[in-house]
Amino acid sequence: MTIPDTLWTWIAALLTLAILSFLYKDNPFYKFAEHLFVGISAGYWVILEYNNSVFPNLIVPIFKEHNYWFIIPGLLGLLFFARFIPKLGFLIFIPIAFYIGGYAGLAIGPSLQARLLKQLQGSMLAPPDFADPGLLVNKLLVLTGILGTMLYFYFSKEHKGVLKAVSNIGIWFIMVGFGAAFGYTVMARASLLIGRIQFLLMDWLHLIR
Amino acid sequence: MKELLVKLGQVDRRYIFLFIAAAVVLPLLFPLNFPTRATPHTRAVFDIIDQIPPDNNPILISFDYGPSIMPECHPMAYAILRHAFARRVKVVGLTLANDAAGLAEEAFRNVAREYGREYGKDYVFLGYKAGGSAVILSIGEDLKKTFPRDFYGKPTAEIPMLAEVHNYNQIPLIIPLTGSATATFWIIYAGTRYRARVADGVTAVMAAELYPYLQTKQLSGMLAGLKGAAEYEHLVEEAGYSRGARRASRGMDALSTMHLVIIGFIILGNIGFFLSRRDAKKGESR
Repeated sequence: MTIPDTLWTWIAALLTLAILSFLYKDNPFYKFAEHLFVGISAGYWVILEYNNSVFPNLIVPIFKEHNYWFIIPGLLGLLFFARFIPKLGFLIFIPIAFYIGGYAGLAIGPSLQARLLKQLQGSMLAPPDFADPGLLVNKLLVLTGILGTMLYFYFSKEHKGVLKAVSNIGIWFIMVGFGAAFGYTVMARASLLIGRIQFLLMDWLHLIR
Repeated sequence: MKELLVKLGQVDRRYIFLFIAAAVVLPLLFPLNFPTRATPHTRAVFDIIDQIPPDNNPILISFDYGPSIMPECHPMAYAILRHAFARRVKVVGLTLANDAAGLAEEAFRNVAREYGREYGKDYVFLGYKAGGSAVILSIGEDLKKTFPRDFYGKPTAEIPMLAEVHNYNQIPLIIPLTGSATATFWIIYAGTRYRARVADGVTAVMAAELYPYLQTKQLSGMLAGLKGAAEYEHLVEEAGYSRGARRASRGMDALSTMHLVIIGFIILGNIGFFLSRRDAKKGESR
């Protein structure tokens, strides 16, 4: 490891400890690390956006390749800044209209297909499902869960009798779903902590290999 | 005993942090070597790559993650690259996340060095392209028009490995590694629109949201969080493809221990809560 590498590792390790010190209580080390992070992140993202988006997609086509059609989307992009001039603020609706229109056009068809039709298809019972008892049980559970959850969110009729019984089943499925999502969230946050501790023990202190 | 349980329900949270810290640090220093078993979803990704003929069409890995979720997604990238390079499966890399290019480039460089793989012949890194879903749709029409140059500025039309790669038809598997909605973008736009085969490597937070796509087979497989990465590392090592560093597997002991501690605190906290509530009800009835 070179001297600059060691220096950066030390800086990263000390900043990690400064952030973790908040777990004890708020303190000046944490505040310093937090403000440093916010400032550097903002600056870093401005440079990243310019270098990775504005420069290759606008500056290069116009000034190097002399493709002047790119001036039109460039001007549309600039209209986003009209928000800062109260009298011209309404101009922002022009690029937003293009953005929403284009994105909706791109997204509606494939999203409908992938998120609704395919999912509906997947929840239906088909003849091959009856050949495998395990698969059949799985499919019946999915079907029960979907019907129960959908009826739980059906508010046009008072939940009494059969409707109440089925929507109660829906609540159970929703709770299991929340539990699974929460469990995975705990695992994700724990993984991030482990990543930081691995960095401290491995890259900084060299206690593990 | 009852008083102790009630008190435990009101314990200063800093004591819990101390227990959590011990549960993470100790297993990392003194590994417990808990067994790792691959789930069917992880094994499915492994099997697909294992069946791709060597020196044939490339798989596509989209490195859609930044440093904030690096502990979960970076080990996945290493494990998948090791598997692919060990089997001489070619890899095209790209990223839709602005801050991911450096991480992707580092993973390619290190794993290619381990296996002696050559840039332009065995793998290509196309870098970042702004646009998200529009980029995914555009690759379906023409990969080289979407990325006229690679990460290093070389024209993609001049890269030998890409000579016969035009769109998703020549790509047997797409693996987005991500912690964002990009995971579903690939399913919707590449998978549904162009019928490409997609298998996600995602953070654990995203995993629960993606199970419906596994059930409908819109996803061919999934690596879920650090556990998914550890499972893939295990499969790659079990098949004899790699003896490289297993960063995710090392973290699994700590993860399991931490889960046990958290479960323990949840149980104790709930017992304390119900006991104090019962006492309060008794007090009211008197």
